[in-house]
Amino acid sequence: MPKVRVVFFASLKESIGQSEYIAELALPLSISELKHQLANELDNGQALLAKGIQSSIDFEFARDLDVVPNTVNEVAFFPPVTGG
Amino acid sequence: MILVQEEDFQVDTLYKSLLKANQTGAVAMFVGLVRQFSDLPKEACSFELEHYPGMTERNLQAIVDEANARWPLLDVCVVHRVGRLSVDDQIVFVGVSASHRAEAFQACDFIMDYLKSRAAFWKKESEGSQSHWVEANTNDEESLERWSK
Repeated sequence: MPKVRVVFFASLKESIGQSEYIAELALPLSISELKHQLANELDNGQALLAKGIQSSIDFEFARDLDVVPNTVNEVAFFPPVTGG
Repeated sequence: MILVQEEDFQVDTLYKSLLKANQTGAVAMFVGLVRQFSDLPKEACSFELEHYPGMTERNLQAIVDEANARWPLLDVCVVHRVGRLSVDDQIVFVGVSASHRAEAFQACDFIMDYLKSRAAFWKKESEGSQSHWVEANTNDEESLERWSK
């Protein structure tokens, strides 16, 4: 199965205890499916299932039903943004 | 011009960069600062801004592109700082130049609204030995609704 880099930011990174993880994924799969896979694989992965956790696929904002394609380079998960 | 950087910025320099000879009739600018968030002395407080290199810049470019599509603008400048900051430090600059004030004001307002909710930045406040990540404000998301076409 392809290996995909998954990165975490801000409070989610601290909850999970790591900034990145190389996941073996049966692509394509949805963001929601990926969240649940990682929630099981990572020690503190349940944090991914918290309300409001957002995601991106190759630097573009994604939603739970969006599909991670075979060509993906990087997926990210993070809490709602708070810039400005 | 879009910049994500640790260094501070000079508003007068950015302002001058927005001016186009014989064309500019209006420049609207916004500067966001780190406001006091604790009862502790300023020296005991710090503020950290994390971003997602690669994505954050794309987010800002998409917002500026949308502003350019909505209004006839001459130039746009967005500078957002990251890293460790202190109370009263400058965080963000948005400047827009146009022929007339209406589009300059509106585009500046639009860019800040979208930057708050659609750009990958996260704030963390520390006071003494305590620190916490700032939670998103639901009002920021609601502010976007007024721009829906």
